[in-house]
Amino acid sequence: MAEKDTIKRKRRFLHKREKQLNRSMAGNTLLFVLMFICGIFMVLPLVMIVNNALKPLDELYQFPPRIFVRNPTLENFSDLFVLMNDSWIPFSRYILNTIIITGFGMVGHVVVASLAAYPLAKHRFPGKNILFSMVVLSMMFSWTVTQIPQYLIISWMGINNNYLALILPAWSFGMGLYLMKQFMEQLPDSLMESAKLDGATEWHIFWTIVMPNVKPAWLTLAIFQFQQMWGNTGSMFLRDEQLKPLQFALQQITAGGVARAGAAAAVTFIIAAVPIIFFLICQSNILETMTTSGMKD
Amino acid sequence: MRKKKKLSLLQKRSLAGYLFILPWFLGFLVFYVRSLIMTGQFALSRLSIDAVNGGYVLDPVGLENFRYALRVHASFKQVLTTSVMDMLIDVPLVTFFALFMAMLLNKKFPGRGLVRAIFFLPVILNSGAIQAAMELGAMMMNGGVASQAAEVAASAGESMTFSIDYLIDMFVSLGLPAGILGYIVTAVARINDIIAASGVQIILFIAALQSIPGSMYEVARIEGATGYETFWRVTFPMVMPHIITCVVYTIVDSFTGSEVVDLAYSVAFDEFNYGLSSVFSLISTVITCIILVIVCGAIQKRTFYYN
Repeated sequence: MAEKDTIKRKRRFLHKREKQLNRSMAGNTLLFVLMFICGIFMVLPLVMIVNNALKPLDELYQFPPRIFVRNPTLENFSDLFVLMNDSWIPFSRYILNTIIITGFGMVGHVVVASLAAYPLAKHRFPGKNILFSMVVLSMMFSWTVTQIPQYLIISWMGINNNYLALILPAWSFGMGLYLMKQFMEQLPDSLMESAKLDGATEWHIFWTIVMPNVKPAWLTLAIFQFQQMWGNTGSMFLRDEQLKPLQFALQQITAGGVARAGAAAAVTFIIAAVPIIFFLICQSNILETMTTSGMKD
Repeated sequence: MRKKKKLSLLQKRSLAGYLFILPWFLGFLVFYVRSLIMTGQFALSRLSIDAVNGGYVLDPVGLENFRYALRVHASFKQVLTTSVMDMLIDVPLVTFFALFMAMLLNKKFPGRGLVRAIFFLPVILNSGAIQAAMELGAMMMNGGVASQAAEVAASAGESMTFSIDYLIDMFVSLGLPAGILGYIVTAVARINDIIAASGVQIILFIAALQSIPGSMYEVARIEGATGYETFWRVTFPMVMPHIITCVVYTIVDSFTGSEVVDLAYSVAFDEFNYGLSSVFSLISTVITCIILVIVCGAIQKRTFYYN
């Protein structure tokens, strides 16, 4: 008798759960509608950038403005190309500068910050907490406010007017260390212990066990840092035209004002497109990693 | 004998730890700690440019700059309060919005990568050159007819405020406390800012959700947990450490883009009063740190660390 009761109760329970599932379907639809609305807000500037880049000049000045282009042309891009060829420094030089600054700044930051985050997350040693609170404190100071001391330090080190002036400070941002530490803390200790028992050195453990396991974290950091470095015009430290990054050259074209509106629209498109592509590549990689990782406790 | 060996192993390990930190720490010391100390020095002195020998001269003036900032300066305290209030409004909303979005974006559906990119767009579009170009675009669009557009906008604004006021009045007369209502109204008014400010946080949470072992969800499913239970018993505790990361990031982000920083910047580079600017940034940093410590302390107590 009692058994039957429990079975009945179980059935009722199951039945109830089915209903709940249905309700969550309705909830899901609602959520997606909400997400769609939020998404429209976010995507609108990009839609405008893409359309503006394809608009001929008369449509750019049209009032009332239209979001979508009527007669798409690649005129703006060919204008930009002509402008680039006229520039004093070959344009490939700007691209090379950007690759050097962004690449070294990003990779260096990810490696240095991860290296430092590993002992902070997984080792115990004196001075750890003080160090960590210093990191958090340093994040509070805005870059704009410490500009003058930064400049003084850069010239004191003698790396003014050098790629290093942009690359080296980027390596020791506090944010990356903080982010990596939070993710490494979640790694199970047993992973590292088993490696240690098998005779791996700390260096080995870091590269072959810790880093592959926190791949989502450092890819996120890479996206983040790429965005920072890509947006850097370097006008504060780099005086020589040969050293300036692409962003600077493009900004000069945008600063041409009304006369160069078409080229400026094309520039905006390029500046926005590169980080988006980088983001998409990194994001798809984040997905691939997690399917293969796993722990058996 | 055994004990001695153990100790040396421990020392070896901590030595390895120090070596790992060293490259980062050197950079940190040179670029950040030093600039912090210099900012502190500037705050306690009047800085003037030495026209004869080049460089700058510091005249120690004690707490003069602090006194000026807190007692004499026209707008500092007001701007500081606004910035802090904005931050306090932003932080919980951004955190929950980001977590919510991350959970949606973590589900499998066609075009997921694209949708994720869309939600990361505000971060990408927030660069100097793009802002300049967008302003230029806006200028082009309403250049000749600016006055007309302004008029249209003004009239639209009027009707908007009218309807919102009407709604607020209605809620107040329904007996809703004005404080809660004020918060909701401000939050609604800032909704675009909040969405735009949560790009990085969404990515953080997606990475956090990805690092939850799939076996946990399997177990929950086998045990017959509902979606609601799974969220509160599995997902939420597992992303809890990252909620702190997210809160810290939001506070920092909201602070570095706040009006106080703009004020400090304009005081330093338009009025050339570096001492006062340093004081502004020091005071606001201290306040932000206090908020950070309180908030993180409150969250940390409830945090569950897997291990």
